[in-house]
Amino acid sequence: MALQGNVHDSARALELGLATGLGAIGPGIGVGFIFGKTIEAVGRQPELRGQLTGLMWLGFALTEAIVFYALGMAFVAYAIA
Amino acid sequence: MILLKVDFNPVAEFTDFVHHPYLKLPLGMDVNKAVVYMWMAAALATIATLVIVRRGLRLRPDGAQTTAEIVYDMCETQIARAGLPEQGMRIWFPYVATLFVFIWAMNLIGFIPLPLGDRYFHLFGLRIREFQIYAATANLSVTLALTLVTFFATHIEGIRYNGPIAYFKSWMPSGLPAVRPFTPLSIAKGGLIGLIAVIEILSQLVRIVSLSFRLFFNLLAGHLVIAVFLGLASLLGTYFILPVGIPMGVALYLLECTLIAGLQAFIFATLSAIYIGGAIHPDH
Repeated sequence: MALQGNVHDSARALELGLATGLGAIGPGIGVGFIFGKTIEAVGRQPELRGQLTGLMWLGFALTEAIVFYALGMAFVAYAIA
Repeated sequence: MILLKVDFNPVAEFTDFVHHPYLKLPLGMDVNKAVVYMWMAAALATIATLVIVRRGLRLRPDGAQTTAEIVYDMCETQIARAGLPEQGMRIWFPYVATLFVFIWAMNLIGFIPLPLGDRYFHLFGLRIREFQIYAATANLSVTLALTLVTFFATHIEGIRYNGPIAYFKSWMPSGLPAVRPFTPLSIAKGGLIGLIAVIEILSQLVRIVSLSFRLFFNLLAGHLVIAVFLGLASLLGTYFILPVGIPMGVALYLLECTLIAGLQAFIFATLSAIYIGGAIHPDH
């Protein structure tokens, strides 16, 4: 059966959603690891809480940025497709 | 079923303003929405600090002075001391503290709806510009310019403190084998060393991309998601989605302006400090 309707635009929309969604899997796991490990570390050594929180936010932002690379490339592909 | 007849395109708010500058100037130096937002952020950051300091610091601080002291203390202990060595503090602590306050101000102003949009609406016969949320940092030019300042500062300081040869040598990891007695094995190792050199040079250049894209896309995606959820009813053409869209939009708005706005400014300033500190004092 041949596809009917606006295949081009629907493919672009699918591309945007798929690229962003697949790109969000890895950073999601990574951010979970960072917060979980920080909680674990504070549980072991509560006196280091201040230093660990600073490191945690640094790691969080570095990991979270990866999803934006996927989003950026998705936008580029969406724009030029 | 009631259909909304509103022409709403969230992406256009972040792209179309380039074609509608408030003031057209030669050489592409138009005064557009991003420029106005940047001026407002610079004015807010400098005037707020000047007013708090100039009206007299007291031994028993009030709320505003306490806030300024907390911000200063965080810039010094959390941002500057995390990366800068002692001899770089005098020059580069003011720079990273300024980066933090300026980017934070740009991000926070971006969450106030201001009548600076490209289109107009009519209320009681008045022609008013559309209210929009837009941040100067949701524009790649702004973040890229800030990143390039850090990039050039890093390498100029590295060469000034270590000399050019020692500085570029410090990019290579320590413990690489010597190539000097030319045997087939050592020449093969030399090829690997050349590969490592290429990777290290690339990693220095990738810093420009990662530092600028992180801030840019965080703010762009944040604003887009808020706009999409608040405008979901008009995008889908039905009112029934409003009970989902409005609370989600408000929740994301609160997350963005309390956490992300400050966090991204903090990360940008901290990474600048780490890069500059790493160039002044290469540890390998």
